[in-house]
This record gives sequence, C-alpha cells and structure tokens, in this order.
Amino acid sequence: MDSKNSMENVFSKLGDLKQFFVFGQKIVPVIQKIIDFMSDIVPLLENVNNSIQDSTSKIPKASNQINSVTSANEIATSEILDIIDDMFVDLSTIKNGLAELKTDQNSEKIKALNEVVEKIEMDSSRITISLQVQDITSQQLASVNHLIDSVQDKLSSLLSDLGKQQDKPIPKFDPNSITGQDSDYALSNGTFNENARYDRSTEKQDLVDTLVLENTKTSQEEIDKLFAK
Amino acid sequence: MKRVILVADDSPTIRKFVSVALTVKGYDIISCSDGMEALEKLPNNKIDLLITDLNMPNVDGFELINIVRNNSDLKELPIIVLSSLGSNDDIQRGLECGANSYLIKPFDPKRVLYEVSKYLN
Repeated sequence: MDSKNSMENVFSKLGDLKQFFVFGQKIVPVIQKIIDFMSDIVPLLENVNNSIQDSTSKIPKASNQINSVTSANEIATSEILDIIDDMFVDLSTIKNGLAELKTDQNSEKIKALNEVVEKIEMDSSRITISLQVQDITSQQLASVNHLIDSVQDKLSSLLSDLGKQQDKPIPKFDPNSITGQDSDYALSNGTFNENARYDRSTEKQDLVDTLVLENTKTSQEEIDKLFAK
Repeated sequence: MKRVILVADDSPTIRKFVSVALTVKGYDIISCSDGMEALEKLPNNKIDLLITDLNMPNVDGFELINIVRNNSDLKELPIIVLSSLGSNDDIQRGLECGANSYLIKPFDPKRVLYEVSKYLN
C-alpha cells in the first residue's frame, strides 16, 4: 500500500515537471524577446546618458556667456553714462557762458541758443531712460541663468542616479569666473525680477501714483480722526 | 551745504543713472549695492534722503525700509523706492513699509529729481 502511494506521488511530481517544461517551452521565446529588447535598449540608454552628460557639461559655458553679455552691456552703458554726465557739465558751462554774453542786441540769438542747449539736455535725459533697458535685460538674463542652473541641478542629479556623475564631475557655474570683468561689475548673487519689462508707457507709474495718493489720504484721514477724538 | 542722498541698488548702472541725474543738480551721492551696506552707511554719513531698490541681496529693500522706520534716529528719513516690481501687492507692501514715494523702472530722471526736491527743498 505504501509503495502504491509512493508511485502515485512520483507520477504526480512527474506530471508537475512535465507541465513546467511545457510552460518553459512557451516562456522561452518571451524571455528571448526580453533579452533582445534589453540588448537593443542598453546602447540606446547609454547614448541618452552620454547626451545628458554632454549637455550638462555645456551648461556652465552657456551661463558664462550670458553673464559675459550682461557684464559687457553694463560696462558699455556705464561708459555712455559717463559721457552723458560730462555733457551735462559742458551744457551747464555753455548756459552760464551764454548768460554772461547776453546783451540787448543779441538777446534773441542767445535765447535761440539756450533753447538748443535745453533740447540737448532733454535728449540726453531721454537717452538715459532708454539706457535703462540694460538693467531690465540684465534681470531677465539673470532669470534665464537661474532657470539654466535649475536644469543643470536636475540633470546632475539624474546622472548621479545613473552612476555617471562619478566618472566626469560636471563643474558648477561660478559667476566670478568670468575673465576680464571689472570688479565693480561683479555679478551679484542672483536677485532679479523675472517679470521686469522695459515699458516706457506711464500706465504703471500712474497706477503707483494713485496708490501713493490713496495711501497719503488714508494716513491724513487717520491723523484727522486721531485729533478729532 | 550740499544735501546727501544714499542710493542702494545692486545694479551698478542704476546707481550711476541716479548719480548722473542728481549730482548735476548739486546733490552729493553715496552709493551702495545692498541693504546691509546701506544700514552700515546710514548712521555715519548724515544722509538726507534714501533712494532704494527692493530686490537686493543680503537685506532687501522692504527690510531696509522697515529697519529705518523702526530706528528712532532715522524714522523721519524720506525714502524713495526705485524698483521694477510693479504689481499692486509689491507697491502696497513698499508703501506700507514706509516708503514716501515709489518709482517704477525705467524711470525718468526728471521725475526722480522732482521727488527728491519735494522732500529736500
């Protein structure tokens, strides 16, 4: 009786084994397909990996170039402002000279010359307003740099996860590494207004003036109330 | 005696713009690049007026105005904000901190001059 049970047990196990082999025959092509897929995808992933590393390593250069542009614009704007400053002094000298030269005979001519001087002064003022575009663009470029910096951080973290970062460490952008930069124009550590716009219309300033006026009125009303008590 | 104006802005060109606009009218200009530096210069230079940006490193303009308004020696100092921050919230916040005037960048040098003379003449 025991040997009959043992034989049945053996046959049952053999049945399981047969089913396993049948399943194996079915699963082998699927495994083969997975292996083929893996062997195709690995070089592709390697390629993606190298591309990310390559792009990441170029980011500090892009940031440097943006900052070089900002720095060069700052220096050029400053030079123009120096010239305008000298012009204001010269115009003031001309005005004083014209006042001294004024006589009854030439008053009309002097008046005309004074008008020309005033026009040059006004034009110089307009130039200084236009030059402020430099400040606005520098803030926008700083915002772009900040964005680039964030992308670099993300990519570096991705490369680190993929185990690539250790092979070639990617240098971080250093704003002070820009060569030939006047110390007065060293880039500050990133305060910027990404919404800064070069808007010459007076719409915004009018709004501000209204708010200032309301604020002053409120304060005056509060003072009046206080004294009325 | 020349009136002294402290200009706090992290942009060297803006500092220069203000300086060009005001020195020609006889004001003395002291410049600094952030709020921290402004706080160091304020007590020692007999400053008559402060022109400040809002977005600055270390101590920003809002904080600078707050500190000045809470200082018994400086609380009456006229303050003009010069900023590219133009939203209602920013303007309101600047005024609530204690700014007397608020000018949006890009600014007209004549307007700066007008605001300065309003408080100093």
